[in-house]
Amino acid sequence: MSESPGAGLRGRSRLGGPDIVRIAFLVALLAVALAFPVLFPSPVATNYGVFTLVFVAVASAWNVFSGFSGYISLGHAVFFGSGAYALGIAARDWHVTGVATFGLLPLSAAVGALIAVPFGLIALRVRRHTFIVITIAVFFIFQLMAYNFSFTGGSTGVDAPFLPWPAATYNNPFYYISLGCAVGMIALAWLIRRSRFGLQLRAIRDDEDRARGLGVHAMRVKLTAFVISAAVTGLVGAVWFFYLTQVQPPSGFDPLFDLSVVLMAFLGGLGTVAGPVLGALIIEPGQLYLTVTFTNGYFSEILLGALFLVAVLLVPRGIIPTGGEYLRRLTTRGRSAIPAANPASQSAPASTGPRSDEGAMREGGASKGARRRAGKAL
Amino acid sequence: MRPHLPWLPSRTLALVGAAVLAASAVAACSSSSSSTTSTSSTSSPSSKAPITIGASLSLTGDFSADGQAYQKGYELWAHDVNAHGGIMGRQVKLTILNDNSSPTQVDTNYTTLISSDHVDLVFGPFSSLLTTPADSVVAHYGYALVEGAGGAPTVFDSPANEADHNIFDVSLPIKDEMVPFVNYIASLPPSQRPKTAAYPMADDPFADPPVQLAQQELQALGVKTVYSKIFPEEVADYKAPADDVAASGAQIVVLGSTDVPTVSAFMQAFEQQHYTPKLFIAAAGPDQGAAFISVVGKGNAEGMMVPDGWYPGYDNAASKAVVNEYVAKYGGTPSGVNADVAEAYSVGQVMAQAVTATGGTDNAKIIAYLHSGVTLTSVQGPVKFDSLGENGASAAFVFQWQDGGTEFNQVLPSSAAGSVPIIATKPAWTS
Amino acid sequence: MAREIYQAIVDGILIGGVYALMAVGLTLIFGVLDIINIAQGIMVILGAYLSYELAARLHIDLFVGLLITVPAMFVIGVVIQWVFIRPLRGRERTSMTLLVTYAVALIIEGILYQTFGADDRQLSASYVISSVHLFGFYLPYIYLYGFALALALVAALYTLLYRTSFGRSVRATMQDETAARLVGIDTNRVAAITFGIGVAVTAAGGMVYGATNAFDPNSGYDLISRLLAIIILGGLGSIGGALAASIFMLTLESLVDIWQPTWAIVVFYAALVLVLLIKPTGFFGRQAVRAQ
Repeated sequence: MSESPGAGLRGRSRLGGPDIVRIAFLVALLAVALAFPVLFPSPVATNYGVFTLVFVAVASAWNVFSGFSGYISLGHAVFFGSGAYALGIAARDWHVTGVATFGLLPLSAAVGALIAVPFGLIALRVRRHTFIVITIAVFFIFQLMAYNFSFTGGSTGVDAPFLPWPAATYNNPFYYISLGCAVGMIALAWLIRRSRFGLQLRAIRDDEDRARGLGVHAMRVKLTAFVISAAVTGLVGAVWFFYLTQVQPPSGFDPLFDLSVVLMAFLGGLGTVAGPVLGALIIEPGQLYLTVTFTNGYFSEILLGALFLVAVLLVPRGIIPTGGEYLRRLTTRGRSAIPAANPASQSAPASTGPRSDEGAMREGGASKGARRRAGKAL
Repeated sequence: MRPHLPWLPSRTLALVGAAVLAASAVAACSSSSSSTTSTSSTSSPSSKAPITIGASLSLTGDFSADGQAYQKGYELWAHDVNAHGGIMGRQVKLTILNDNSSPTQVDTNYTTLISSDHVDLVFGPFSSLLTTPADSVVAHYGYALVEGAGGAPTVFDSPANEADHNIFDVSLPIKDEMVPFVNYIASLPPSQRPKTAAYPMADDPFADPPVQLAQQELQALGVKTVYSKIFPEEVADYKAPADDVAASGAQIVVLGSTDVPTVSAFMQAFEQQHYTPKLFIAAAGPDQGAAFISVVGKGNAEGMMVPDGWYPGYDNAASKAVVNEYVAKYGGTPSGVNADVAEAYSVGQVMAQAVTATGGTDNAKIIAYLHSGVTLTSVQGPVKFDSLGENGASAAFVFQWQDGGTEFNQVLPSSAAGSVPIIATKPAWTS
Repeated sequence: MAREIYQAIVDGILIGGVYALMAVGLTLIFGVLDIINIAQGIMVILGAYLSYELAARLHIDLFVGLLITVPAMFVIGVVIQWVFIRPLRGRERTSMTLLVTYAVALIIEGILYQTFGADDRQLSASYVISSVHLFGFYLPYIYLYGFALALALVAALYTLLYRTSFGRSVRATMQDETAARLVGIDTNRVAAITFGIGVAVTAAGGMVYGATNAFDPNSGYDLISRLLAIIILGGLGSIGGALAASIFMLTLESLVDIWQPTWAIVVFYAALVLVLLIKPTGFFGRQAVRAQ
């Protein structure tokens, strides 16, 4: 699913031939996803499905903030865990049991959003590396608070209400709910990307000072993306919790959670809509499967690390952009490299060899900030 | 100015490096992955179908030391059972999956084991933290979850267990752990009784309840509490809380620990502060045998106490046989055998007795049988489950390292069979 | 009560020295290469294991063993930087370096598990458990030596940075990499050597950490987040800042330990957030030169 290069700049693109193919492809994909539990009724398959879709939604939500704005967050586990705890605590204190617990899911989204506001106001005032470390610091503060407070159950955590459903179909409702969350998030990401809001985000990523100079309310834009990202992450965290039936401080606030999400988004392509989806589809089931198959744990760690390295080095811009460029190279072979008046044509000369970092600019034109950053590569 | 190296070759170099690592890891993996997954003796070919048993263990991650000890225990049991002709003539085939100490992986593992591998029975994972997510899968399939490491109250109170009553913990319920110790203090004449006590506890549902109970009871006996604080489990440095305990000068230290590093950190800080408590008991750590001694040293281990339901010197024929078998296979001394091994072995034994008694691997029948009030045997002693799955028949003992840190002996209750005299005052630290 | 407070301050300074040893390398890498080295935590543990092996097999004293482990770690650092980090360029460089250093950490952790197993270890020596009695406090020798080592290393690094031509190249690269290249500095070499130095210093930190804590291959994770907090607080690239921040944070934590240990670490991170709100570049950080 490669993006049409100038789509973001022009706003709405008119529907053409390739778009119809793309839409048909998406519809087919959706149909398969919907029919998945029917096609593969084994609980193992739907188990993989639930966890995978949870991470598809999370990776997509994370990317809408971090990928689009360039502020790498290593603290999204805060929202994930808070959403999980919110559902558990509400169910416990309001004596909600059984299927009714699903009705509390919006609460988790709200909790995620609410936490994101002060979190964002504090963290988004600083730049890059400091931002990353602040997100890490806030993450640990939340994990430790989960340990320390009694209403979160301390080191014991919180249990979810028991659902006395038959084992063969137990996973299915969770599968559909997480599918709904994932599809909704993808659609939201797509809408944001095509909108002016998305453009402002990417302007911030390219050069924040310049964007400010051009009239973008940076803090407001960043915070909005942060809150949206947080709400969905919280929602999905609650789904994950209910499925697993338990959350404890180290599992709800898992330090490796964010790094996995970064890898997923990165592998697929930061800043694209389909990238994180693809990344999650590859990594989450892959990780589960590898651990089951290669049970001699230490080698699976080395293998995992080596695979990460291969992924980062082989597809440094992510699978989707690299794949899209490769396809474009194939289809434009023999034709003039510079089509009429297309600002994204800079990608064409770059495809002959990764010589310079300007080649990394897929769209939006090379800005002074980007070139300055390109020079910093060490 | 040196020419800027072209980008392509350095990236290639990096890729090659990564690919080599990946390939070697895969090669090593596939050559050794089969060695940990199943144990089946082929000495007595049986025409009957094997009994398949699945378990998820923490072979890597936070709980890896204990997870691996459990793996040895399960495998030792399976090996012994098969060497004796299996259960009801059927060989046991054990499949162990690694969960990396992660609840998500535990969920997937048990789903895979039951739904894809179609195992007949399951054993539990290591740690109270992973037993609840395991049970939420296992309960829905109606399987019994026999385990030895999920003893915290939260495990038995979990919604799944309250609904299906399928958890069975063969080990000592943790809240009874410190009772023999408290009784010992009570048995001392008031003039000889220690006056002050400190209770540092790790933030863990396994470590805290017994220490807090001990605090209550000792206070009632007139022992003054001079320190009682909970510290985070994952703290990178224990020196400050340990120094505070040392500064309190408490005569008794009851440490709510879950692993060896916590105990060794406190011991080291005490030594640096030239402070030796008269009595030092830890909830876990000193019972890990060689893993404990190698970190703290024999001399310092002298006098350290720990409560448990079993120890390698337990005067029980089956237990001694297992200990000797373990030492023959893995080396070391009997005192060096980790208590986890016996716990895991007992899980297997209980399951075997249930299968034999019910004539098959019908989990519903097994659950009913285990709840029927019958008393079973294990290397850890008698096993009898109450309605929540706790083992009410197990007795708590307190053990102490003696003879210069070379012997791990049973000391309390002093009247119990097999108890030796307790070292009433911990000797000063040695370097 | 007063005694407890003094003890806490003493503890904070002593433990802060240990953390400074571990953090100084990290901040140097940050300052020059502009990357977050997530593998730093596992490097500390690797250093600890190397010291352990030298002590256990060859009976080499822990501090003497540093003469071997420090150069060894230097070489390891240079190799890692040259092979895996240098090729990373482009806009996504931040995420790439995060992922690559994380991957390197995973690989090293797996190798350590494979080689040494999951059981805990601790470095021991006569001066690890003995202490000197001063002003009514017991000061363990290992912490005193560790603190002295930290001061010595900080001084050595300052000398390197401010009194040698190599140091000038490093500072120039820290300030503006393109300009440095324009005046003829081989920034690739500077980067590789600096990374190597950063990792080499960690060997010392690993030895002292391994002597004061039982460790296993999994111990690296808890460390890296605290080290990151310390260097951000001290100011990215500021070596003296790393030392000051270590002592500050650990003293604060020890003081809170008196009241409630479970809140001590929260205070640690909350203090970081608070300071950054007031001064986003940390104690001694320079004004942010880079855009974003």
